[in-house]
Amino acid sequence: MGKTEEFIIPVGPQHPALKEPENFTIKVDGEYVVDAKIRPGYNHRGIEKATESRTYIQILYLLERVCGICSICHMTNFCLAVEEAMNLEVPARANYIRTIMHEIERLHSHSLWLGVAAHEIGFDTLFYYIWRDREVIMDLTERISGNRVNKAIPTIGGVRRDIPPELIRDLRKGLDVFEERIKYYKSLILKENTVLNRAVGVGILTPHDAVALAAVGPTLRASGIKSDVRADDPYLVFDEIPFNVMTHDGCDVASRVIVRCDEMLESINVIRYCLDHLPDGPIRVKVPVIVRVPEAEVISLWEAPRGELIHYLKSTGGTMPYRYKIRSPTLGNLPAVQKMLIGNYIADVPIIIAAIDPCFSCTDRMTFVNVNTEKSWVWNNEQLRRYGNKWYQQNS
Amino acid sequence: MVPAELLKIAELIVFPGFLFLIVYALFLEWVDRKFFARLQNRYGPQHTGWKGILQPWADLIKLLAKEDITPAAADKTIFTLVPIFYLAIPLTVMFLVPILGANAYLSFQGDLIVVIFLFTLLIQLVFFGGWSSVNTFGIVGGMRAALQMLSYEIPMALAAIGPAILAKSLSISDIAQWPSRLIGLLSNSSMPLSIAVGASAIFVMAVGFGIFTLCMLAELEKVPFDIPEAETEIVGGWQVEYSGKKLALLRLGGDIELVAASALMTALFLGGPLGPWPIPPAVWFIVKTTICVLIISNVRALFPRFRIDQMTYWMWKNIVPIAVLYIVAVEMLAAVI
Repeated sequence: MGKTEEFIIPVGPQHPALKEPENFTIKVDGEYVVDAKIRPGYNHRGIEKATESRTYIQILYLLERVCGICSICHMTNFCLAVEEAMNLEVPARANYIRTIMHEIERLHSHSLWLGVAAHEIGFDTLFYYIWRDREVIMDLTERISGNRVNKAIPTIGGVRRDIPPELIRDLRKGLDVFEERIKYYKSLILKENTVLNRAVGVGILTPHDAVALAAVGPTLRASGIKSDVRADDPYLVFDEIPFNVMTHDGCDVASRVIVRCDEMLESINVIRYCLDHLPDGPIRVKVPVIVRVPEAEVISLWEAPRGELIHYLKSTGGTMPYRYKIRSPTLGNLPAVQKMLIGNYIADVPIIIAAIDPCFSCTDRMTFVNVNTEKSWVWNNEQLRRYGNKWYQQNS
Repeated sequence: MVPAELLKIAELIVFPGFLFLIVYALFLEWVDRKFFARLQNRYGPQHTGWKGILQPWADLIKLLAKEDITPAAADKTIFTLVPIFYLAIPLTVMFLVPILGANAYLSFQGDLIVVIFLFTLLIQLVFFGGWSSVNTFGIVGGMRAALQMLSYEIPMALAAIGPAILAKSLSISDIAQWPSRLIGLLSNSSMPLSIAVGASAIFVMAVGFGIFTLCMLAELEKVPFDIPEAETEIVGGWQVEYSGKKLALLRLGGDIELVAASALMTALFLGGPLGPWPIPPAVWFIVKTTICVLIISNVRALFPRFRIDQMTYWMWKNIVPIAVLYIVAVEMLAAVI
């Protein structure tokens, strides 16, 4: 073979395969991907900085808006961190309701992802059917919390709403319907050759690479590694609930699909267990409107639908945190994506990126790195604005 | 009495010429969208006109009014010519396919070859369109279209030649009349033989129809062969830089291509605009082509998109041998009849 010509295809910041802006610069040789560069930073919103000037109750609703899909994760994880710092004992019923909401969120997040994955491989029929059945879960979420997206159900010291008995009955019915549909889709995906053609052997991530590149969540479990915060470091009531950590050793996109389907079925069992063992009692303890957190440093781990979510709280006492830091699962998976992309076809790029269930708005942070001196620094919004104005005055 | 020349011109412009074809193409787009949507458990267009029947018109008019941008780096001549030819070529094909009666507007020995050539030319246009837009997605889309053509063109030509062998003619109008001639022929001969010949003819033609439908899906760039424009991968592929009037022409061209493909399927395998009952040929034409479009929509809803390497491999490994076997069967059948 003679010298071949490589050219560069930009995937993003605006691309139909990406629901949020992000840039993947893909170097291709014909249809082969030779190299990939990932450039985050198109969706910075300054949420971490904003937490430093708000009270804890205000932060609760700010953090809910970190992500539209896993709002419960960020909110409840923040509550756990604050309660840990305050040494607050939460009623058992509240913890069970939090767990139910947590797992319902996994159901809706995974089924959303399954639909998106079908869309990425051009199978729109499957996409529409899965999203139709996802409405069962969305309706139940609305019945429980009053909202479809930002559920706003946990609060510091408990939860804001109870689950009445007639709703428990409807919840069980809805779960039965949903379970049957997910079982059907799983068997369909495993049998349908045209789907398997696009998923088996695509985006390989070996167990060794998965650990070395610090992949998290279903991406890691699809490489055969049994790692789940719920089992490894139980929070809420996961130490009481019997459940399996689902893994698959295919290491490819197909096994990521299977792992997520299995996790949905397992989540349904967790919710059923919670409904069976829902204790009586109050759903929250009273905390003052202006929460004061003593001097403390807390790291709170959480298994979000996309993987391990880390919240870090540093308080120096008072009504506002000194520093709040979020490490969302997508950031943990990005180095692995680069590895997965190389050696595949252009046609596989969307499904490989989608296979980690990326959520870039949760991920973006702003750090400036001078490539010549390798010095890095962080600016806040005001500094950046001033710099921007100055730059334009000088250069226009 | 109206002079014959005037009638011919009216036929060219009004019916079954340009006006009818454009109206019919937009109607078929609506049928396709509505049926496809219902298969996917959606409603499809529903607000413009009765059940959204005017939605394709609304889309077309809106696009015609939009700003037309030609990229600065593009090869302007080719970039501008591609949409015009992309509309003109399917229209040309339509004049070679019978609509109003047994004979097409233009009919001569060898027009089947011309039609196959025109379909190939369409893909060349796609390639030039993608290439001249000087966009990485456009270039990849154009390359994919060319690669795709290499794999489906041979089975398409083989499938189209089958009925021609049986009809002993290379004119599409003759081929369209062949099934009625065959029925006349069979009803004169003895009963068991005619049933055997008729059944085997139906079976062989069904295989050919299947192959031809698959190739037409690839020609029309529909799922599972929408590889050149794969929205989630290369953002519309070769069409990515087209906007405004040019995009409107491309879309209209695509719709007329859909009519041309279904008309060709009808003419080659379903007996053209002729039928057993005394119904006007134009009605037969509309019924049969609509059925062909429904078949295409149904296949579209069933599959995910192939990858270009999978498509090429699958076509050469499976469809080409089947097409060759089909030609052998057709030859044997032709010897019996």
